[in-house]
Amino acid sequence: MAKLVLSSGGSVLFQCFLDEERVSVGREASNQVVIDDPALSGEHAVIIPVGNDHILEDLQSVNGTFVNGVRVSRHILQHGDVIELGAFYLRYLNPRASAERDFERTMLIAGLQESAEAARNEAGPFPEEARVPAARLASVRFPKGRVRVIAGSRAGGTIELDRVVATFGRPGDQVAVITRRPHGFFITHVEGRRYPRVNRQSIGKEARALQHGDVIEVADEKLEFSLA
Amino acid sequence: MSHNFIEMAAVTDVGSVRQFNEDSIVTDAEIGAAILADGMGGHRAGEVASHMATDIIMNGLQSQVAEFRSDTSSQSPLQAMDESINRANKAVFDAALGQSTYRGMGTTLALVLFYDNRVTLGHIGDSRIYRLRNNALQLLTRDDSLLRDQIELGFIAAADAGESHNRSLVTRALGIEESVRAHLREDEAAPGDIYLLCSDGLNDLVEDADIELIMSELKVNLPLAASHLVQAAKDNGGYDNISVILARVLKPFPAASHKRWVTRLLGWLR
Repeated sequence: MAKLVLSSGGSVLFQCFLDEERVSVGREASNQVVIDDPALSGEHAVIIPVGNDHILEDLQSVNGTFVNGVRVSRHILQHGDVIELGAFYLRYLNPRASAERDFERTMLIAGLQESAEAARNEAGPFPEEARVPAARLASVRFPKGRVRVIAGSRAGGTIELDRVVATFGRPGDQVAVITRRPHGFFITHVEGRRYPRVNRQSIGKEARALQHGDVIEVADEKLEFSLA
Repeated sequence: MSHNFIEMAAVTDVGSVRQFNEDSIVTDAEIGAAILADGMGGHRAGEVASHMATDIIMNGLQSQVAEFRSDTSSQSPLQAMDESINRANKAVFDAALGQSTYRGMGTTLALVLFYDNRVTLGHIGDSRIYRLRNNALQLLTRDDSLLRDQIELGFIAAADAGESHNRSLVTRALGIEESVRAHLREDEAAPGDIYLLCSDGLNDLVEDADIELIMSELKVNLPLAASHLVQAAKDNGGYDNISVILARVLKPFPAASHKRWVTRLLGWLR
């Protein structure tokens, strides 16, 4: 369960659990969290629970709401966030709202717009902005690599391998794919009766790891692979 | 009926983090049907729900397509799909009532049925269906998810979705209530189209632009394209089960209807 810890000058003044209710913060006594500081507005900010999240919203306060030193108007709270309110600090603690997502299991929850949904035409396509985008783990890093084209129609050129896949060769005749992975680059046969060659040896049908300086032959293309 | 009109490749993978695979996929290229389900519930009940759903719906579609082909069906493919989905829903719902370890189990769903030059699409929850046509990827389904609701209503920006912990909260699922309303639609299926059915383990981790690139660059080798999609999701974290089904339309597939033939014959005689 999520918790708010109010402190000032290094000492803890107050703690409360966040449950299903919205929690407002401000100078006036009507707020759930009352902070008597002239720097705060009467109704300064509010914390709204939505699903697994707590969303902090500034209520157009005079002096603003800051999270970890950055002014926010709306912010999805993360475990350990510090909300700065005048001379006071409000720390958000929720071990479930940490970066690692493997705790997440698919669960059912009431939608926010079932009635709107019912009225809507089912036919697509759907607006891009309403799409939930992908978010890969922040810790994933990819190596940098490129190929220099030694022979073929693109001879003399250099191709950066900055996407997940890049294909080489001639469609219908012979094609190979170079795949960018966290631990390096790999080449795999895609189509054609002959397999691509690396350093004059056929790679067969399995993926093969590429080493710096490898020379690849596929259809009429000859490429030199290098790691940046 | 023209056979070998659809080519399919399917992969399901437990991912890099989870212990169990609660996804289920089944395909039948001969009748032109593919079904994917992403189960949920404790004590591996999700696995039970997803497998029940895919098996029951595939059985239903197989007998219904046989009726279409022998002209003994009075239903449209859309009605047939709806009926099979609801039969599966009832079965999962009843099983959950009957056994305490199954309580609350349910599953998302994405399925396609190719019949008579058309494709019928169905989905529930946050499993998706995309189509690659002329190397452009288009999302054909709208997630039943809290995060999508929040973005659509402007509560949070799409760019901030990565900050949210609501990614796995679905607003509709099969097997939770006595009946379920699936999102169903029909569209024309053109030769060359490639349909992608996937669980959120793919599209949560691989951007649409990369899905599009992998599919368009590797489409000539459908099994390789499918395994590359799964690999990309694992490389980006793989914290969920990952399932993909790719279905390519190889050629036109008009129904060889007896009724149609009889109508044509009557036309000549007139």
